[in-house]
Amino acid sequence: MSAREYLGEFEHIVLLAVLRLGDQAYGVTIRREIEACARREVSIGAIYATLDRLEAKNFVQSRLGDPTPERGGRSKRFFRVNAQGVSAVKHTHRALRSLTEGLALLGGSL
Amino acid sequence: MTQPLSPPRPPRLAAWLVDLFATREQAECILGDLREEFSDLASRSGIANARRWYRLQSAKTIAHLAGAALYDASPWPAGALLLGFLLSLFSAGLPEQLIVALLRTQRPYSNRHYEAYVWLLAYGIPMVSITQSLLIGCVVALLARGREMFTTIALSLLRATTTAWLLFIFFGRTPPTRPVIPFLVPFLFSRALDLIGIVIGGVIVGRVRSASPSRLAAT
Repeated sequence: MSAREYLGEFEHIVLLAVLRLGDQAYGVTIRREIEACARREVSIGAIYATLDRLEAKNFVQSRLGDPTPERGGRSKRFFRVNAQGVSAVKHTHRALRSLTEGLALLGGSL
Repeated sequence: MTQPLSPPRPPRLAAWLVDLFATREQAECILGDLREEFSDLASRSGIANARRWYRLQSAKTIAHLAGAALYDASPWPAGALLLGFLLSLFSAGLPEQLIVALLRTQRPYSNRHYEAYVWLLAYGIPMVSITQSLLIGCVVALLARGREMFTTIALSLLRATTTAWLLFIFFGRTPPTRPVIPFLVPFLFSRALDLIGIVIGGVIVGRVRSASPSRLAAT
């Protein structure tokens, strides 16, 4: 895995949220998922800045939905993690697991 | 007969700023997401709370977009910034030269158009100067490809820093004496107008870009 494919902490969180949401992953739901699961308040801008970076790295793909009146006639941008993104998540998990193994402070492993 | 209640509207200025700073593709989905959450929040905890939330989210979003723009891998914004800086460097003093050249050809001070001569000196130079900055801002914004605002603001900050540095060199050790101050104040005012002109160039190009039909197709 090249240096370009390593995930930052927030990139990792965003990718996991997109994976959990499946077909319903767009800005609002991703933000709420992160708040609910990671108990971390994030802004829409932070999510899009990260998703744009992940898309440039070819870890996610996006498509525009239809415009809706409740969004002021604007479209949702749905995200999907592709195979390379899944591989990056697995790699990061493996790295974290091996780094925490044997650490009594963290209960031995993830 | 009662009129149906219109849905609450998010703060216009905040929405306008997000639209201005985001690329066209980002603006479409970010403003939609903000609007969706705003409507939801307004129905749950009131319009005042929702407006406060919207303003805060907009400010945070612009800050994050600025951070992302700094790490933008595209060479266009950096190239546009460099070109803008060189343009402003090499065209410095052009407004004064233009007005003086005009005065030389017309010789208004030698005839009854003396008032026009004074007017051109007093207002003509700042007007040409701000037009020049506006054009530089437009050129930079056109080349920045979606990063109009960040690039033009960065150019303005760069020029402000250069001016401050030059002033420090001139007056750092010997503060401006009384006879210099009447010239220094209009100079600083004219510099400030130039910086604003560059950013206005970015706003104009950004608005035109935003109004043009989107290239993104809904799939």
